[in-house]
Amino acid sequence: MRRRPGIGGLQNAATARDQYRLLGENVAKIRTDLMKEQLATFRSQLEEFARKHKNDIRKNPAFRSQFHEMCAKVGVDPLASNKGFWAELLGIGDFYYELGVQIVDICLATRPHNGGLINLQELCNVLCQRRKSDRGGVSEDDCLRAISKLKALGSGFEVISVGKKKLVRSVPTELNKDHNEILELAQAQGFVTVDEVERRLSWTSGRAIDALDTLLDEGLAMIDDGHRDGKRRYWFPCVSSISTSVADT
Amino acid sequence: MQKLGDFKLPHFFNYPPYFTLQPVRDTRDKQVQLWKELILDYCRTQKIFVVGLEEDFPLFSNPVVERSLSHEAREAFLLALVSEGRAEWLDKGHRKCLILWHRIQEWADIILSFVKDNGLEDSVMTVEEIRSGAESRGTELHGIDRTILMRALRLLEQKGKLAIFKGTSTDDEGVKFSL
Repeated sequence: MRRRPGIGGLQNAATARDQYRLLGENVAKIRTDLMKEQLATFRSQLEEFARKHKNDIRKNPAFRSQFHEMCAKVGVDPLASNKGFWAELLGIGDFYYELGVQIVDICLATRPHNGGLINLQELCNVLCQRRKSDRGGVSEDDCLRAISKLKALGSGFEVISVGKKKLVRSVPTELNKDHNEILELAQAQGFVTVDEVERRLSWTSGRAIDALDTLLDEGLAMIDDGHRDGKRRYWFPCVSSISTSVADT
Repeated sequence: MQKLGDFKLPHFFNYPPYFTLQPVRDTRDKQVQLWKELILDYCRTQKIFVVGLEEDFPLFSNPVVERSLSHEAREAFLLALVSEGRAEWLDKGHRKCLILWHRIQEWADIILSFVKDNGLEDSVMTVEEIRSGAESRGTELHGIDRTILMRALRLLEQKGKLAIFKGTSTDDEGVKFSL
């Protein structure tokens, strides 16, 4: 026999729904509370960690870089502001601003020689030499972070990748793909010839000469007519270590 | 780092393009500046007073990187020194150049303090004595180029600090200080 729906059945269904909802809300609340608790624990742990390893973070570049990585993974940016807990605790903001100023300084000092393009590794070496008196070293990672902060000034500091190397550009020159390919080629020996560019990149002679002339005009290349084979060589101070040694003298 | 005797060579000396005159203005200015400093430094420490463009001046070539400066480049660097008063051509053909790592005025001052230090205020000396005598040993005046010394002495003569005269018995010129 088929029962027809009655008032009791409807009420039953409503009560059940209410109870399910209540239960659901409870579960959700418990979950959020748990989450909040976990977050609070995590934060205090992270603070505890930072406090405990304050000196390591300040002094050891490798440790600092890993700390940054860890922060990035959990969505905390110790550099976001110079005020607040992180800055006060670690003084980390000031550290990078100071680094930024020194980087600008070095880029300007070496510009007459390298045309405003400097090897990141070189930059880092000079930076370390300059900061010799200060405690602790500076890693390439630190340089990159400081440079990324410089972008906020809109001053045109940029890190470009050419082949395996990273170069820091401090002039507003736009390097196109052709220029980048030449720089990449030059990394092997520090120089290229027109022949080599044509052969290795399968370019026409006009294209190679045009790109090299632009690089010369920008002060990024220097010519060398002194080799025995009589072929003009184009040297790139930004990919050889000479650029910063000259700045020291 | 590469050395010439006891002279430390700068890094750029081993970078081949610095031996070719650069066509781009800014790059060339920097290049000329570095060479000027190098030439002055080297001449000062090695006590070299005259550089001949066609001679084997050690800075004009670097066997390590197998590069040497063209005549044009040598002339350009020395010309830059001349225009700053730190060098003078000794001939019209620009083949020999006097390097003034001290300007004539500075040499004159050095002579004055040499005279005072040795109590020679009213004495007579020959030019050769100033260059190679016992008094000047150990001072910058020892072994000074004769042309430069004469120029500095004439400058002092104009100011009434001394009189230059020609000895009757010797070929050498004499100097009477009157400070």
